[in-house]
Amino acid sequence: MSSFEDADTEETLTCLQMTVYHPGHQRNGIFQSKGFFTREKLPSSEVVKFGRNSICQYTFQDKQASRVQFSLHIFKKFNSSVLSFEIKNMSKKTSLIVDNQELGYLNKMDLPPKCMVKFGDYQFLIEKEDGESLEFFEIQFILSTRSLLQENNWLPHKPIPECGNYLFCSTQSNSPMEMGENEC
Amino acid sequence: MERPHTVLRVSLHHPAPGPTAFTHVPPRLQHDTSPLLVGRGPDAHLRLQLPHLSRRHLSLEPYLEKGGALLTFNLKALSRKGCVWVNGLTLRFLEQVPLSAVNRVAFSGVQMVVHVDGGTSLEAFVCFFHLSPSPLIYRLQAEETEEWEGILQEQPPPGPGP
Repeated sequence: MSSFEDADTEETLTCLQMTVYHPGHQRNGIFQSKGFFTREKLPSSEVVKFGRNSICQYTFQDKQASRVQFSLHIFKKFNSSVLSFEIKNMSKKTSLIVDNQELGYLNKMDLPPKCMVKFGDYQFLIEKEDGESLEFFEIQFILSTRSLLQENNWLPHKPIPECGNYLFCSTQSNSPMEMGENEC
Repeated sequence: MERPHTVLRVSLHHPAPGPTAFTHVPPRLQHDTSPLLVGRGPDAHLRLQLPHLSRRHLSLEPYLEKGGALLTFNLKALSRKGCVWVNGLTLRFLEQVPLSAVNRVAFSGVQMVVHVDGGTSLEAFVCFFHLSPSPLIYRLQAEETEEWEGILQEQPPPGPGP
C-alpha cells in the first residue's frame, strides 16, 4: 500500500519572507549565522527572537545590536483561519520602526502583510504569505546587498506627527462570542 | 531607586486537585518580561500537575501599550486540544486577549482569578500565588432560561504585600 496515497493531507505553511540588509554585512558578516541560510519550519507557539544573544533563533554578529532586539509573536485572530504576527521591540536602546510606526521598549503591533522594519542600520522587508497550518509556519531569508529603501522606493507615506500620537493597532479584529467556562 | 514591580495576585482552585496538582506552585515568583508559561510540562514557569492540562496550556505575556507606563498582559491559549475561558470569552489555540485589572480564568477544571496591580518596573513582574480550597468562580443556571449567569467573588485574594 502506498504511503504517499494513504498519508494525511499536508497543510500549506504560512511563510514569512524576510529580505534583510545591513551596510556592514559584506565586511563583517552580520547575517552569517546558520538561521539566515535555511528555510526553517517553526512551531507557531514559539516566540521568535532576533538579536545578538545566542538565546535568539536568529543572531546578529554585531556588538551594536541588542542582546534581544525584537521578537515575533504568533497568534490567531478571532474568526480567522490563518496565523497572524505581532512584532515587539525588545531593545531598551533602539526604537523599532515598522513602516511609519515607532515602537519603544516592549511596545508591539500587528505585523502588516508587507512592511519595512528598521532599527539602527538594519532594514527588514517582511512579506507574509498565508498558509493553512496553525501549528507551524516558515521563515525564509533573502540577503540583499543594496539598501531596501532604494530598491523598493520605500518611503513613508505620511510624516511622523510631532505629537508622537501614533495609532496603536489592536491585536483583535473581531469580538468573540461569549460562552460558558464549562466548555473548557 | 528601584521601581516597584507589577504584581499579579493569582488565586487557584481545582475541585479535585489530587495530592500533587499544586506541588510546584511557589508562594512567590518573579519573572522577566518574557511570556510566563502555564502548563503541565517541565518548561512551564507555573507548573500544574494535572493530567488533562497541556504541557503548555496558556501564557501571560507582558508588554507596554503605546504611551503607557505600566505593564499590560496578554493571555494566549497554547493548547491545541483544550481551550481557556477568560472573563466570559473562550479562547482556542493561539487566540489571545488583554487582561483587565481583575480576571476570571478557567481551563481544564482549574479556576484562576488574577488581580493585576501595576508597577513601573519594566525589568520584571512578580506573581503571588494563593491556593483556594473553595471555588473562585460561581455559576448558577437561570430558572427560566438555559443561559448561565456568573456570580463573582468581589473580595481580592489574600496575599502578602509586594
